[in-house]
Amino acid sequence: MKKILTQCKKELIQFRRDRLTVALAYFLPTLAIILYGFATRLEAKNIPVTVRNYDIGFYSREYIHTLFNNGQMVSVPWSGTKDTDPLDLGKARAVIIIPPDFSRDIRNNHSASVQVLVDATDVNNARVIKNSIIATSQYFLRSGAMEQQKNLIVPQVRLWFNPGRKESLSVAPGSIAVFLWIFPCLLSTLCISREKEQGTVLQLYASSITSFELMAGKALAYLLIGISQAIVLIGSSCILFQLSFVGNGLVFALATILFLASSVCFGLLGGSRTNSQSAAVQLVATTGFTTSLLLSGFLYPQRNILFPLSLLSNILPARYYVEACRNFFVRGSGFFDQFYILVALGLAALLIFNGARKVMSKMQLSS
Amino acid sequence: MTQVPVVQVLDLKKNYGETQVLKGVSFSIYPGEIFGIVGPDGAGKTSAFHMLGGILDATSGDITVLGKKPRDTRLEIGYLTQLFSLYLDLSINENIEYVAGLRQVSKNDLKERRDKYLKLMDLDRFSNRLAGQLSGGMKQKLALCCALIARPKLLLLDEPTTGVDPVSRREFWDLLASITQEGVTVAVATPYMDEAERCHRLILLHEGSIQDEGRPQELKDNLNLKRLELRSNDLEKLSNRLHTSIDKAQAHFTDIQEFGDRLDVLTDNLNIAQSIIQKESVGLDLSISAQEPTLENVFVSKLKNAEVKETTARFPFVQKGAPSNSTAIKAEHVYKEFGSFAAVKDVSLQIDYGHIYGLLGANGAGKTTTIKMLCGLLQPSKGQMSLGGEKGNLRSALLRKKLGYMSQKFTLYDDLTILENLEFYCGVYCVPQDLRSKRLNWVLENTGLLGEENRLTGNLPGGWKQRLSFGAAVLHQPEVLFLDEPTSGVDPLARRQMWQLIRDFARQGTAILVTTHFLEEAEHCSELGFMVAGELVAQGAPGKIKAEQPGSLIELRFKDNQAAYNMLKTKLDSWRVSIFADAVHLVLDHPDIELESIIENCNSQGIECFSSRRLPFSLEDAFIGIVKRQSTANAEASAA
Repeated sequence: MKKILTQCKKELIQFRRDRLTVALAYFLPTLAIILYGFATRLEAKNIPVTVRNYDIGFYSREYIHTLFNNGQMVSVPWSGTKDTDPLDLGKARAVIIIPPDFSRDIRNNHSASVQVLVDATDVNNARVIKNSIIATSQYFLRSGAMEQQKNLIVPQVRLWFNPGRKESLSVAPGSIAVFLWIFPCLLSTLCISREKEQGTVLQLYASSITSFELMAGKALAYLLIGISQAIVLIGSSCILFQLSFVGNGLVFALATILFLASSVCFGLLGGSRTNSQSAAVQLVATTGFTTSLLLSGFLYPQRNILFPLSLLSNILPARYYVEACRNFFVRGSGFFDQFYILVALGLAALLIFNGARKVMSKMQLSS
Repeated sequence: MTQVPVVQVLDLKKNYGETQVLKGVSFSIYPGEIFGIVGPDGAGKTSAFHMLGGILDATSGDITVLGKKPRDTRLEIGYLTQLFSLYLDLSINENIEYVAGLRQVSKNDLKERRDKYLKLMDLDRFSNRLAGQLSGGMKQKLALCCALIARPKLLLLDEPTTGVDPVSRREFWDLLASITQEGVTVAVATPYMDEAERCHRLILLHEGSIQDEGRPQELKDNLNLKRLELRSNDLEKLSNRLHTSIDKAQAHFTDIQEFGDRLDVLTDNLNIAQSIIQKESVGLDLSISAQEPTLENVFVSKLKNAEVKETTARFPFVQKGAPSNSTAIKAEHVYKEFGSFAAVKDVSLQIDYGHIYGLLGANGAGKTTTIKMLCGLLQPSKGQMSLGGEKGNLRSALLRKKLGYMSQKFTLYDDLTILENLEFYCGVYCVPQDLRSKRLNWVLENTGLLGEENRLTGNLPGGWKQRLSFGAAVLHQPEVLFLDEPTSGVDPLARRQMWQLIRDFARQGTAILVTTHFLEEAEHCSELGFMVAGELVAQGAPGKIKAEQPGSLIELRFKDNQAAYNMLKTKLDSWRVSIFADAVHLVLDHPDIELESIIENCNSQGIECFSSRRLPFSLEDAFIGIVKRQSTANAEASAA
C-alpha cells in the first residue's frame, strides 16, 4: 500500500510540474464542450431557399408566405441565368419553382404542382428540408381556403424531456461523456509511455514494485486528476448551457467515478502496450475518440447502430455513461432504474485495469 | 581468492532473435571491489547489466547475485541505468523520496541517508532544484544518490559517465572509491579505457565474448611489451619509413600507431627497436620516450589476435588545385545567444587545410552549437566567421558542395540497401559518373562489406553503419569535413582504422573538424580545443597542452590508500588528489619541495607510503588542471 501511495504521490507531483499539461487538461475539455455545445446543430435552421415564382396569382404569394413563416427557411433572391443557378453556386440549399398556372389550378380544385430541387450533398439536411417543405405544403392546404381535403387523423405530437427542443440539452450531456472519456485517458497513457520512452521504467523493473502496485498508484493519481477535470467540465457546462440537475446525484457521482476509472485504466492499457508517447497517444486517441463518438449513442441513437457493431457498442463504458448523463441532466431517473449502469461501468473498470496490469505483469524487459 | 563472490556468472548467453549479443560469458565479482566491464558500444555490456539487475531473462546460463537469482535480490541491488532513470520534472528531494518509497526505506533512514549522501556529493544546496535543471555531472551524482538510498550491497553502474565532463567524471570515480570502503560492491560498465584503469579488476568484452580478464596492471604487464612515444617535426615521413622500409618482425615492432602529434611503437625488445628507430630517423628531429603500454594497447592486441587483419584501402583521390587561402575555417570572437542563455561565448579558432581540429567538451558545453555555426547552419549572434574563403554567404550551393558533414545522428536510410544508400549520396553530392564506381568500391572495401552491398542497411550493427555513413559523407572528396562524434559505437580496432582514413583525408589537404567526448581520441588530432560552458578554455596541440601544465603528476602507493586519500584531501585542493584502484594520484606544482613533506606527514599519521613515481600527464589531467585553476582564479578575482 505504501508503494501505491508513493507512486501516486510522484505522479501527482509530476503532473503539477508540467504547467502546459495542467492547462490543457482543464482548458481543452472546456473548449471542446463549448465548441460542441454551441456549434453542433443537429437541427436545421435558417436554410437558404430561393423561390422562382412564375405565377402571378394570390395563392402562390400566400404559399410563399407560409413557407418562410416558421423561420426554418430564409429567402434568398434569385440571380443568374438558369432557375437552378443558386443551387449550383451554393447560394441556396433548395430552389422552389412555382409554375405559371399554380393559382389557377388551386382555384379550380385541380392538383397544382410545385417543383422542389434540394441540394443533397448534406443528406441529413436534405431530408429535413424535404420534410419541411412537404409539411408546409400540407399545412398550407389545410389552413387555406381548401376545405375539401379534410384530414381524418390528426396526430397530436408532444416533445418530452426537452419540451423547448433546446439543442444544448441533448448535446451537452453526451459531450460530457465523450470528453470525460478522452481527456483522462490521454493523460494517463502519457504517464506510462513516457516512463518507457525515457527509460525510467528500468528503475521500476529493478525495484521490487509489482505491476499491480505500479498500475494502482498511477490509476489512483490520474483518477484524482480525472475527478477534478470532471468537476471543471460539468461545472462549466452547467453555467454555459444552463443545465440543471434533475436525476439522482449519488448514482451520477458513482457512475462518474467508475467511468473515469475505466478511462484512466484504458489509457494505462494503451500506454503499456506501446513503447513511445506518440504511439500511445495515437492509439488511445483514435480508438477512444471514434468509439465514444460514434458508438456510444451520443451522435446516433443506440438502435441505429447495426448488428455486429451494436455488440461492440454494448461493451463501451461511454455508452452507459452517456445514458447516466442524460438521466441526470435531462430525464431524471431514480437510483434503481440505473443500477445496471453502475454494474456495467464497474465491471469495465475492473476488466480494463486487470488487462493493463497483465501487460506489465512481468516487470522486466521483453527478450 | 577464498571469499564468497557477490556475483557469479556462468556461461551467460543472450540472443535477440538471430543476433547473439552475449556468447557464453563467465565471471565472478568479489565483495568490496570495483569490477569493470569494458568494451565498445554494442559489446553486450548493457544486456549483461539488465540480466544482473534482474530485469531481463537470460537465454541460457546462470547468474547468482548474493546467493540468489538476481530477480529475488532486487532490493539489495542499486541500479544506475545508462540514462540515469531520473524524473526530470521532479526535484532532487522528490526523486530520492520516490525511490526510497519504492524500495521500502523507512522515514528515519531516508532522512539520515539523504542528508549524508547529498552532502557527500555536494548537492545539499540544491535539494529543491528540478533534476532537469542540473548539469550532466550533477544528474549523475543524484542518480548515484538514488541508487544508494536503499543501502544496496551491490551497485550496478551502466556507463555512468557518458556525456559527463572530465572534472565531474574524476569526482565521480573518487566517490565510488569511498563507497566501496563502506562495503558496497560495484560493477561498472564503461567504454573508456582511462576509467578501466581505476577498476580493481576488469573484463574486456568484445562482441559478446570476454577477451581478457584481470587487474589493470596485470593486463598491461602480461602484454610484455613496451610503448615508445615518438615525436618528430615530420611525422608523416617517419611513419612512412617505419611502415615501409623495414621488416617489422626483425625490428621487434609489434604495432605502430599514429596520433595527432606523435607515433606510438609497441615493442618486445626495447633496445633493438630503439636503435632501429634512431637509424631510420636520420635527418629528422626526433624525441623518444619509453612508456608503459595502455589498456587500449591491451585491448587492440587481443582483438588483433582474435580477428583477421584489418585492411585500409586508399581513397581514390582526385588532385585538386590548392585552395587560394590556407585557412579553411576561421571564427573570431563568435557568440551565440538563445534568449538570455549564452550557448557559445567568445570562441575564436582557426583550422587550416590539412589539419584535424578536435573540439572537446561535455554534453551541453556548446560543441554542437559551435559546429552548426561553423558550417553555416546557424547564424552567430556576434562575431566574424569565414568558411572555405567565404565570409558572407555560408550557405551558397557552391560552397556547400565543398563541405562534408557527418552528424551525430546522421543515419542512412534503414530501408534502402547499402548500395542504394551510397548511390543516393553520390547523386546528392554530384560525384562525377566516372568516379562513382571506384569510390563506392572504396567505401565497401573499407567497411568490409564488399559482396554484401545488397543487404538492407537497417540490419547492420551500429559500428558498421557508422563507418558506412562516414564513407557516404566523404564520397565527394570534400575540402572541409565536419565530423560530429564519428566514432561513437565503433570498436577500438575499427576506430583506429577510421582515424587512419581521417588522417588520409587531412594529408590530401582536407580541413577536418571533429567533436568527441573521448579524451583519449583527442590524441589523434593535430590541434584541439576544449569547451566548458560555452567557452574555449584551452587550445593547442595535445602534446603542447600537456607540456604546458605546471607541476607534475605523482603516483603514490599507500598501505591504506583510502585513508591517505581522505587525509590528503584535507591538506590540498581537492582536485589535486584522486584515488585509483591501488594508488593515489597527486598534482603538485612544486613536487621537489612539497612531496617530501607530504610523505612524511602521511607516515607520521601511520599511513605508510610504499612508493612514489612521476607519471606523464594525460589529457584528462591537463584539462582538469586548466579548468580548476581557472575557476580558482575566477573565485579569487571575484573575492577581491
